[in-house]
Amino acid sequence: MNKNYKSIIEKTLGHPQGDYKEIRIEENVSTRINYNGKVRENVSINSHFGGSVRSLSKGGWGFASFNDITKAPEKMKDATNLANYSNNPTIHLKKSDSKKISLPAKIKKDPRKISLSEKIEITDHYKDLLLREKNIQGCEIIYGDTERKVIFADSQGNEIEQNFVHVILRIAANSSDGNEMLQSGFSIGSLGDFSIVENLDEKVIDCARKALELIKAPKIDGKETTVVLDQILAGVFVHEAFGHLSEADNVYENDRLKEILKLGKKFGNPDLNITDGAKIPNLRGSYEYDDEGTQATTTPLIREGVLVGRLHSKETASKMAEEPTGNARAISYAYPPIVRMTNTIIENSTSTKKEIIEDTNDGLYVKNWYGGMTEHEMFTFSSAETYRIENGKITETLRPVKLSGNLFTTLKNINGIANDLEINQGGGCGKGGQMPLPVSNGSPHIRINNCLVSSG
Amino acid sequence: MNEIIKFLKNNFDQYELYEEENEYKSISYESNNLKEISIKQSKGFAVRAIQNKGLTLYSTSNYDFEKFKSNFLELSDYPTDTKIIFPKGKNYSNPEVKIFSEDEFNIPNDFFINKIDETIKKILKHFPNALCDGEYDLGLGQSNLSNSNGLSKSSKESGISFFISAQIINENDMLNIYDYTSSVKNIENEVIEKITNKLIENLSVAQNIKTSPPKGCPVIFTPHGLYQTILSPLLVSFNGNNLSKNLSTLSSRENEKIFDEKITIIDNPLIDYSPSSRNFDAEGTNSQINKLVEEGKFISGLFDLKSSSEYGCKPNGCAGRSLGSNTFPSTSNLIMNEGDIGIKKMIDQIDEGILVDHLLGAGQGNELSGDFSANISLGYKIEKGKIVGRVKNTMISGNSFKALGNVDYISNEKENVYGSMSLPYLQTKNVEISS
Repeated sequence: MNKNYKSIIEKTLGHPQGDYKEIRIEENVSTRINYNGKVRENVSINSHFGGSVRSLSKGGWGFASFNDITKAPEKMKDATNLANYSNNPTIHLKKSDSKKISLPAKIKKDPRKISLSEKIEITDHYKDLLLREKNIQGCEIIYGDTERKVIFADSQGNEIEQNFVHVILRIAANSSDGNEMLQSGFSIGSLGDFSIVENLDEKVIDCARKALELIKAPKIDGKETTVVLDQILAGVFVHEAFGHLSEADNVYENDRLKEILKLGKKFGNPDLNITDGAKIPNLRGSYEYDDEGTQATTTPLIREGVLVGRLHSKETASKMAEEPTGNARAISYAYPPIVRMTNTIIENSTSTKKEIIEDTNDGLYVKNWYGGMTEHEMFTFSSAETYRIENGKITETLRPVKLSGNLFTTLKNINGIANDLEINQGGGCGKGGQMPLPVSNGSPHIRINNCLVSSG
Repeated sequence: MNEIIKFLKNNFDQYELYEEENEYKSISYESNNLKEISIKQSKGFAVRAIQNKGLTLYSTSNYDFEKFKSNFLELSDYPTDTKIIFPKGKNYSNPEVKIFSEDEFNIPNDFFINKIDETIKKILKHFPNALCDGEYDLGLGQSNLSNSNGLSKSSKESGISFFISAQIINENDMLNIYDYTSSVKNIENEVIEKITNKLIENLSVAQNIKTSPPKGCPVIFTPHGLYQTILSPLLVSFNGNNLSKNLSTLSSRENEKIFDEKITIIDNPLIDYSPSSRNFDAEGTNSQINKLVEEGKFISGLFDLKSSSEYGCKPNGCAGRSLGSNTFPSTSNLIMNEGDIGIKKMIDQIDEGILVDHLLGAGQGNELSGDFSANISLGYKIEKGKIVGRVKNTMISGNSFKALGNVDYISNEKENVYGSMSLPYLQTKNVEISS
């Protein structure tokens, strides 16, 4: 670790007051290439540097973030004074074995070694491919790579340096029928692998053709119906429908919710198994230690339809007398860590996609995603493609739809899980003003009965 | 900064330097107790420079000149085409809208803690089982903008916001109602009391869950519901970037009647002490009141330098920016005209209908066309002229242009939404309810 950092960290954590103290120092550099309409709109590099301190005292937290890290010791004093305004019961955070460790970024193909001209050449090519299709009005392309170095130290003796490199790409085409505009697109991402943005010609051309096909497609009337979700949309579904309520900061101060989300309670059918874990390697939500220095784990959340676990920070684990799971994450040094998902997955069952579709008399096949949101037990998520299923066959292309449900009924309404798990790494998660946090989610094809849909 | 300016002068036809320094304080309660007080300080700068009609953008919080120079030179090999000319200093005299009040940062933390505490106690008096979150956020910002055409402007801004929410759980029903307001100067007691009383009233009605009304029923939007459901997707079409790229259905349709003639919408950045007011925009263009819709006719979009140069019109002072981004057209204080009927009468006239207040999942559809579709996270059932309870598991969908194309009623009362919008209640038939 940089010697200057070491001295600042020692002084900062040496502040005599406070039950628990931590400091994070972060350097990050990100490259963005954006296209909008028919032109490249922007090529930019943003470089940021700063730190934050957090202090726990009298059962409350004080937090301070800053760009000038030499001020960290006085900021720790400020943070502790702010925490002292609380008058809650003392929190005893569980102490883990202290470690001093430095971890390099996990890299498959390093975007930092690819020249800016090469990145632009690739994205220019995708723009040309999209605009070559007749009646495509414009496109939206966002390429980004980010390099982050995060140094964490706390009053429990941990000193952890971690390095991350993320790559994202969103490609979308805008079509028009003269009256209306419609966008169709896809998003991908990786942890340290530039190769995911290469060789996408077929997918890009397909995206433009889908936009042209969808603009001609009819809208559906809102109704309750059976839906078969592809792996990507089912991944978004598990994130929204279940993942957020498994984050213990929704539960730990709420006695009524603790009863409702009691471990051992049945939430789904016996073939439903859901897991979250940053320990699953090489995905966008993967890391070795979370932003409180807790080692990453893989946490079973639902086993055979029964709630068996939840996601914790040090604080929520202490207050619920459970073990920390390494899910305390902050989007940058400027924010305190809060409980977040990492890589959230519905596990494979035994059916096939073919069997599930053939077994559906009347319903919708919904693919790919546009967005999703959760508010307590209610959630919505939206498809990027929708097809009608009639008598076990996919028959007609429809406009994208928005799906909505309720945790307590929708999970139980899953009545088909295939064996073709795939992971979606194209998304980011937002919570408490911290967005987009790198996460991944995945699932095999699943079928849900009685799902409320409306034209999106 | 002098080294940076010298470097830009020597290497580019035009340049712009934007620097900002911000300070925030947040006091937050979770589940009825003080959870965290945080302070944040940030400082950084962004440079845009143009050479041979190619623009380069770079932003950083690291003031190391050598690092800046090497990154900027690398980026300048890949400029983006632009026709913009940065504004000249001498042509501009500032309006003097009040957007700064330093006093709030000097108020002791105990004041804000006590205010949230009192509000929560008031809610708990009516609903002892409620779990409340509350938050005060205070911000102070200073920005400096200068360019090679002689413009040099500084702005000091402040803001304060208040948020309160209450959650009540019955069986498997999790009811959560929240409200929020903001201002440049401290939020008056009456405003907080009004928000709190409304929240208590809404909690009381909302605990009664009713079946959703049938398709085709009359739908009234509260001012918040109107913004979230209809105006937010609609504003995508007023964005100068979409107008200039012909991605907006409003492109080249100025002065054409698009909406019901009862609709007039303006964007007014010149309101004292409103948190979205500004004397000049993020590129230095003076702020002005912009008519977006007048008696149903599309009048103007929202433009920054880039989108106006591409659309062939004058910039109208709508450029917004964050440190890391290029500028973008943005609204300030959005104001819709009032109608001629009271909200009470609008509700009185309805035999079976719905009052839409909050949505879950808004903004995730085909907004370029003005389409919307979302779950109604807070909506009230109207029966025989009275609000009788809350609907659940109900979706609303439609198109903003169609919804405002034929409006039944607009209320003569307006409410402040998020501290910066003044909007009425609005009733329209052209939306679909499904459950």
